[in-house]
Amino acid sequence: MARKSKHSRPDEAFEPYEEHAGVPMPVNWVAIALTIWGTAMLYDTGESVQESLQDRAEDSDVVAQSVPDEGTLLFGANCATCHQPDGRGLRDAVPPLAGSEIVAAGPDIVSRILLRGIDGPLTVVGQDFDGHMPSFDSALNDAEIAELASYVTTRWADTTEATAQTSEEVASLRAEIGDRGSFGGGAELAMMISSLPDQPPMPARSHVQAGDQAARDLVFAGRDQVWSCASCHGDLGQGDESTPRLAGLPGAYIVKQLQNFREGTRENESMQLVVQGLSDPEMTALGAYYTDLRVPSTARPVLSGDLKRGEQLALQGDWSIGVPACFTCHGPSGFGVAPNFPGLSAQHAPYLAAQLANWVGGQRHNDALGLMAQISEALSTQDRRAVADYLASLPPVPAGGASMARMETQDDQ
Amino acid sequence: MNRYLPLSILALAILAFATLMLVIAPGMQINSRPAPEGLTPYSEAEQRGRETYVSLGCLYCHSQQPRSGDQAPDGERGWGRASVAADYTYDQPHQLGTMRTGPDLLNVGARLPSEGWHLTHLYQPRAIFDWSIMPAYPYLFDEKPQAGPGDVVVALPAEYAPQDGVVVATQQALDLTAYLQSLDRTYEVPADGLRDHGYGTPDGPEPTPSEEER
Repeated sequence: MARKSKHSRPDEAFEPYEEHAGVPMPVNWVAIALTIWGTAMLYDTGESVQESLQDRAEDSDVVAQSVPDEGTLLFGANCATCHQPDGRGLRDAVPPLAGSEIVAAGPDIVSRILLRGIDGPLTVVGQDFDGHMPSFDSALNDAEIAELASYVTTRWADTTEATAQTSEEVASLRAEIGDRGSFGGGAELAMMISSLPDQPPMPARSHVQAGDQAARDLVFAGRDQVWSCASCHGDLGQGDESTPRLAGLPGAYIVKQLQNFREGTRENESMQLVVQGLSDPEMTALGAYYTDLRVPSTARPVLSGDLKRGEQLALQGDWSIGVPACFTCHGPSGFGVAPNFPGLSAQHAPYLAAQLANWVGGQRHNDALGLMAQISEALSTQDRRAVADYLASLPPVPAGGASMARMETQDDQ
Repeated sequence: MNRYLPLSILALAILAFATLMLVIAPGMQINSRPAPEGLTPYSEAEQRGRETYVSLGCLYCHSQQPRSGDQAPDGERGWGRASVAADYTYDQPHQLGTMRTGPDLLNVGARLPSEGWHLTHLYQPRAIFDWSIMPAYPYLFDEKPQAGPGDVVVALPAEYAPQDGVVVATQQALDLTAYLQSLDRTYEVPADGLRDHGYGTPDGPEPTPSEEER
């Protein structure tokens, strides 16, 4: 390039060079000044970091003091959705704690109920209830149950006796109870608490054990062309990982899902093959079978989701992203509302997170008004994991929870 | 090139150092860990099934190492938590695999515990998933006019079932299925479980401020 230009060319032997020029003094001064200033700043910030750390520590102490105590927090997260924050319960649906003769019996009984749950009719403060209290055996540890039992009795029991419960006492209760299952309503409670008023008798539960013979055959033996339900969903409908827990889901919801598999509005190759051989009456029988099943939770948070965030989404929702609380539709504590809203509590986290992804991905488009699709779209992957993990950590749907939810709707009307 | 002695010594020393750091030290670290409580040794049938798994080359398409949530959505897929070294205590040789042409199988026994499902799927994957590219393994099964006593009949939709007669599983198919059903590492990670947390922390992808404050 240079050769073609018309500028005079330098001599062949010319060596380029640069005239020596010292750094101007002002630049040196600036450099020295900056160095001194920088060193001073380093010392200075070092001190202020220490100070601000101290400040923050003091601040957080203040915050920690203003945070309600452990019992209040536990009650708000686990009990208040049904028993209400003031402990008055819901008329016809959830027994009150305030004034309850059972709570008055002391923290020991409260711990036992928390560990075992109640499943049967009971009378509290002169009102009859169809009791369906979940067992918190798998959901809360000894210390938490002790804390809750102390909190509930201290707040509502009108007694002068000791109301404190220690985690050691709960641990020995847990060992004593073993897997005895739920209290059979007020009748069984009355055997432990002499001061209880007359309790309704416990109805026989034979129909649950027997089930519809045809449905049981399908569940355990399957057909020539398809596998049995229990071979994947477990003997008690407990499910695992991406195979859902069916025990306690509303029967009508199960029927609708089976029909949706047939219509193709919900995609799952294995289930689509299974439903080909099912008639409508069989679907109804299967729904009735699974809705009556009782089985402890086998779900755990396994997606390393943020449980606090999950709790927030489930209890309050997040209106900054347009997501309502799960529990507004899926019932208090995620027990489900028959016939359309399935229970979410104790459902397996991978299944829940996968369904949220399916609403977005199009494998599932069987929701009324596209509500779940909208919600799932708004949730980030982290949020889906968080809410799935939180719901998996909840105690299972009490069997017959659907009937409780039905009564609640009547109450509203 | 006439100082071959020091050169060879140095080369061997470097190799020995690498072996010490990459093989011997991790080996000692892993071998000292006990087997997890939730893990049981394979039964005889499961072990035979495992040999079939190896001989069929399942490994070429199926890995056995679920990733943590911050690397892949394996948890949501139902593939299970990220595996730890102790999960492979009884796996000789291990079947970790590197290809994921098909799904990860380390927890297939948890998400698909059905023997019937696996038999159908091994006989003809297209009977369930019409888009599946997995090879069928009909030679693990027998066609019979009638099922004999003790025969396990494979459930098949009409278009894949033989004209007349039934498809029954051979012992090899039953063993392989038993092995697949035994693949379940969903128990809790042992407290001292050795694992690589990737970009996350031991407790999750990112610590939340509220947890830090406590």
